[in-house]
Amino acid sequence: MAEALLTALAPVLTRWTMGGSAAAAAPADWRGALGAEGGEAELRLLALAGQLLGALTVVEPSGDVQMLPDIPALAKPPLDPEQRPRARRLLLTLRETAQRRALLDLLDRRGWTVHPSDWMPGINENDLPEVYWPWQDWVARAAPQGMDVEEDISTETWDQFGPAARRVAFAALRRRDPTRAAAVLAAKIASETPDRRLLFLDMLAAGLSAADAPVFEALADDRAPRVKIRAAALLARLGQADSGGEDAAELAGFFAVKIKGWLRKSVEIAAQQLKTPTQRNRRTALMDMLTLGAMSQALKLTPEELVEGWPWGGDIQADHALAAMIERSAADAVVLCAAEAMTAQATINLHGLYPLLPRLPADWRRRLALKVLAASDGAFMQALAIAGGDGEIDGVIATSAGQALLSELADRSDAKRTDHAIELLTLGLLASQAAAVQALEKLAGAGLIASDPRLDMLRLNAALDSKGTRP
Amino acid sequence: MAVNLKAIEQLATDQASLKAAAGLAKPAKWSGISESHDAALVWGECAGSGANPYRVMADLRDLGSKCTCPSRKFPCKHVLALFWLKAEALAPFPAADTPDWVSDWLGRRRTGGSAKVASVGAEKDLHAARIAEPDPVEDEKATARREAASARRAEETERAIIDALDALEQWIGDQLRMGLGGFIDDVAARCRRIGSRLVDGKAAALAGQIDEMPARLLSLPTGDRVRGAAVELGRLVLLARAFRAEPSNPEIRRIITVAENRETLLTDPDTLRVKAMWEVLAERVLTRRDGLVSQTTWLLNLGAGGPRFAMLLDYFPASAGRRGSVFAAGDQFVGELAFYPAQAPLRAVLVGREASDAKDRNWPEDAEPLSAMLTAPLLAEPWVEARPVLLPAGRIGFDRAGAPWWRGHDGAHLLPVSGELGPLAMGSELSRTAGLWSGARLELLAARTPWGRIGG
Repeated sequence: MAEALLTALAPVLTRWTMGGSAAAAAPADWRGALGAEGGEAELRLLALAGQLLGALTVVEPSGDVQMLPDIPALAKPPLDPEQRPRARRLLLTLRETAQRRALLDLLDRRGWTVHPSDWMPGINENDLPEVYWPWQDWVARAAPQGMDVEEDISTETWDQFGPAARRVAFAALRRRDPTRAAAVLAAKIASETPDRRLLFLDMLAAGLSAADAPVFEALADDRAPRVKIRAAALLARLGQADSGGEDAAELAGFFAVKIKGWLRKSVEIAAQQLKTPTQRNRRTALMDMLTLGAMSQALKLTPEELVEGWPWGGDIQADHALAAMIERSAADAVVLCAAEAMTAQATINLHGLYPLLPRLPADWRRRLALKVLAASDGAFMQALAIAGGDGEIDGVIATSAGQALLSELADRSDAKRTDHAIELLTLGLLASQAAAVQALEKLAGAGLIASDPRLDMLRLNAALDSKGTRP
Repeated sequence: MAVNLKAIEQLATDQASLKAAAGLAKPAKWSGISESHDAALVWGECAGSGANPYRVMADLRDLGSKCTCPSRKFPCKHVLALFWLKAEALAPFPAADTPDWVSDWLGRRRTGGSAKVASVGAEKDLHAARIAEPDPVEDEKATARREAASARRAEETERAIIDALDALEQWIGDQLRMGLGGFIDDVAARCRRIGSRLVDGKAAALAGQIDEMPARLLSLPTGDRVRGAAVELGRLVLLARAFRAEPSNPEIRRIITVAENRETLLTDPDTLRVKAMWEVLAERVLTRRDGLVSQTTWLLNLGAGGPRFAMLLDYFPASAGRRGSVFAAGDQFVGELAFYPAQAPLRAVLVGREASDAKDRNWPEDAEPLSAMLTAPLLAEPWVEARPVLLPAGRIGFDRAGAPWWRGHDGAHLLPVSGELGPLAMGSELSRTAGLWSGARLELLAARTPWGRIGG
């Protein structure tokens, strides 16, 4: 009956849309109720038609209605309800990606994940703990251009994925079948924009293998210089360094190499005095472009000799440029060698060290973070930048940095009273569970009340032991 | 950490504040009074003039405080009353975990010294504030004059409303004559004009509804707006006719003019009161064009008796700033609600609630078929914009245009969904869904999924 009434009202709506009286077009059965008086009949018709249209009609969907797949359960359980409010508050306040990553890593290590109501990864997030990859896959499928493709990404289906979904699908293929992924990328990477070619190259950097070489070789003459440099660097990491040609020779000219000792020879590299800013800029540009292999070859050294003979601490800008070159293009052992050389100095050049951090093992970074906290001028933010998401440091509150924080918090004078929210947050991200419990006890002694939201991270840390169980 | 009467006297801005605080420093006015485990923080909820109680919190270390009431006095009478309850131990303050709303306030506080003592020159006497003043004695003639004046005002108001509704119907007729196509193109300006006329005619609540009509219409797909306009304007005609037929009907008056105040509702012996276990489904805060902010809290009755849903509605000026909610979505509590009289009672005020160890109680099962649930309330109250519904098991899907739809597992019902949807609403089974159904769109309030409760 509703269908028939709706059909009967169609001319009424048409008249009203254009303007004018519609009572004459009303369903015949209604005319008696509308009455004869023009204006009144229109209002009665409107009241009846409006009610019918409001209560008994629903628009039809455009095409079939498709359901999304279920959000998958992750390999680790979500936080229990008692901890979720704290975690939710923290996720809202952690604006920096690195801090959020550190929180997710801490939960992951202890055997927990975030509840999907509280947080899910964005489709464009590149830096996620592995446990959340299935959720990112789901988000990509839920995106407007992600729904239509059921199968794995391939050379045939590459263009059917939207840009973000393509990245996620490629990441999934890379995990399952790295060789096939490399083959697909070798065939399709040239069709991507320069920014996206770099993005895909960076995705190959983790888990690099000889099967990836064809991708880098295909980009050896890429029209975008930064893509070409990145591809050459990754080839160099695979041991296929190029000589660098004239550029490498030019760079070598900026340095002098001395060989010292008779029985046990050691290398000493000295930077030539630079006379103009142009020279400095050129030297930096060459270092940004070349691989470590090319530079060391031009200096007639091995990569290890170059790293060990470098005058670390002498020129911060040069240190940073060399560290970036090492991170980009050196083998793992050389990276570690450089880090050891830099931290052996009396004063650790953190600015120079930062480029190496992504390639340094977790336990090495943890030890360095503790060293930074123990230094008289140590700061929690620096330690967090070094440790990244691999905290679990014992005794943090007992370090110089910890004691300085306690002292400032206990000081009630207005002149020194500051928020310290950032320090307390990073303390919570760095500490082991036992260290978090210890820190909370000391902080209570310094006058912080248990309800203080600045203690959220420490309290969350203290409440979670490993394997997803409560203490 | 403690507070004493002297400190309360010094904190109060004037004697009137102390007087008002004395009236509130009674345990019966409060619920949820507690303190943190280290006794540094105290908090509680105090009944106000609105549908929701006010949330009051204080830090005893420095007597800093916050209240969700709109008072511009600082500290307000509710804070002073809370301190008073603590200072004189007039109510127990059991130790409890600090609720999120207190932690949130603590996190936003700018610490830097104690609460300010009010100006020394003001004469404040806490003990004098305690003395109740006798009610003024009125003679019979004055009473008769007052009542006659009140009756005259009521008559004038009713005439003004009738005149305003006449103007409204004239305006509606004009829109039909000129064409609904043109109406939709110019909807904001045209609604503003008739809205002003209605405010002048004492039909403020109806004016508020018309103010929001442009947003409702323009949120519809383009092809659906003429139908939507016919529904909206038809609804207004029905309301106008209903008022003329029965001007004293409280339900119709409430939609046209103003709602009864809390005191009137609570003192009426016929008011429907329901004590039950309730779950907070969701809260909606909307800044209106008239400068008021409406705060609507939707509740689900988890028991067997009384209305299935309740709506708590408060208004406050936008200039009063952000106001915290009393409830968190998903809270379950035992409480007594007093419902405004209506054919199908929905709007209510919270009379009081009890501390409870309420666990996660299930949502009730439905006796009615879904078709009836979706259509019957809208047919019974055709002037209502939307009614809450409790849907059976279903799932959200998307059509070819990317529009979301709720589909029941029986396959017989496909309802268009409006509003933002979170990932869990899109990617899991919805074993039960609570939403607002307008006849054309479903707005999700909350749902139950294998991951737990979502929405709000």
